[in-house]
Amino acid sequence: MNITDLSGQIFGYIPLGDIVLYFTPFNLFLLSIVLLFTIFIALSNTETQVEARFGTLQDREVKVDKSEFKIRRFLAIVCGLATAGAMITGDLFNFMLFTALIGIINIGLVGAVKIVDVLDSAFQYGIIAMIATLPLFGGAAIILAATGTLSLLELSNRAASPMVSFGSILIMAGIAGETGMAPFYATKAEMFRTPGSPFLLIIHLSSLLVIVRAVEVLLIIN
Amino acid sequence: MTGAEVLVPDVVSPTVVAIYGPAVIVGLLTALIALIGIAFKKGDLTALILTDIVGLGMLIIVAAVSTDLAEALILPGLVVELAEILVISEILMSREMRKTGKNVKLAPFPFSMNMEILETAPTFFAIILIAYGSFLTGFTGGAVAGVGILFYVISKTARGVPLHTWKGVGAISGMGWTLWLVGFVVLFVAPQLWLLGLSMSSFGILIKVASKVGLVGIIGREEFKRKR
Repeated sequence: MNITDLSGQIFGYIPLGDIVLYFTPFNLFLLSIVLLFTIFIALSNTETQVEARFGTLQDREVKVDKSEFKIRRFLAIVCGLATAGAMITGDLFNFMLFTALIGIINIGLVGAVKIVDVLDSAFQYGIIAMIATLPLFGGAAIILAATGTLSLLELSNRAASPMVSFGSILIMAGIAGETGMAPFYATKAEMFRTPGSPFLLIIHLSSLLVIVRAVEVLLIIN
Repeated sequence: MTGAEVLVPDVVSPTVVAIYGPAVIVGLLTALIALIGIAFKKGDLTALILTDIVGLGMLIIVAAVSTDLAEALILPGLVVELAEILVISEILMSREMRKTGKNVKLAPFPFSMNMEILETAPTFFAIILIAYGSFLTGFTGGAVAGVGILFYVISKTARGVPLHTWKGVGAISGMGWTLWLVGFVVLFVAPQLWLLGLSMSSFGILIKVASKVGLVGIIGREEFKRKR
């Protein structure tokens, strides 16, 4: 499908050698959401979760200490920037790399919590993410073999062949595993249950935007 | 999948083209074998080690394309795989530390080597490896030279390297890294100066990797000596 039909007119390119970043109204919309949220994260403090107790009227505050807070904020900003990169890239393999990077950072974000259930689900999400890199990168490689190019701007002009469709199906499976779509959403939802929002919201936002952009990419290719 | 439609230049021999379909199938089969292994032997550590084989399947499918671009794509795939293994193993150790309540160092050095080569050959090997690595340049050259430095540092038991030497080595490593990045920017922005960009990036990454690996060796040796 033509990029202009799908996302609006192309405003411009930033060609970094092989990898061309391109801007359309759709991309810019997603990019601005991500950058806005990243700026919010950079400027915000962490929350303090308040838990009620049985038997008394006092509440218990669950806080994140300062060094952990700083590391988490840094990782959340990097996750936001990786999502921003994934939104505007015009190279298929580059998009897969950003998606895998987002997956790794999501695990790192919850790596320092002291709750065993969260660490359990982070471990299981990590295993699924590792398994999902096979269809993710393998699908991109099959599309490279079938068409000879990885550039989205070039792929939009070609008709889809069965090999390209097979590669797209593999990419869909890889995105589903990496971003935590069904049926892998259970672990990713459990990773969230730790003090330290609003940074942890980047976990959900990055997955959401990557899924939307992945649908656009697959429509461009086919 | 024989008769898979792939885009093939005329210079490629038909044998190579015919191998592509079977290569992709082999990659998928490798991943299937690994997943069956995970299903049979349950256990978190086993699952982690066996998912690395799934990553190997991914490398097989990427390498099956057999062009220069595919070779360039293998390195990011490998790096992503490595990073994921590191992150997940740290999560596993974190979880076990929380569960059992014990605290262990996240990078232990299991050292007690009693090999003759560590006494008779360190200087010679180190010089050969560093010279070869400097001649190679690039990432591989940096790794070879770094291994030379590492070997020398581990085998010699002299102690007492002053702290500013370590910091100096770290600073040199950072500057080498910056040189590498600037070299790449030169290649993008001014392609007619390609030789300058190539030299800057290859020597920069050589310095960076060699001093990084050597620094790991020095820190590791100091940590090890502190236990005795």
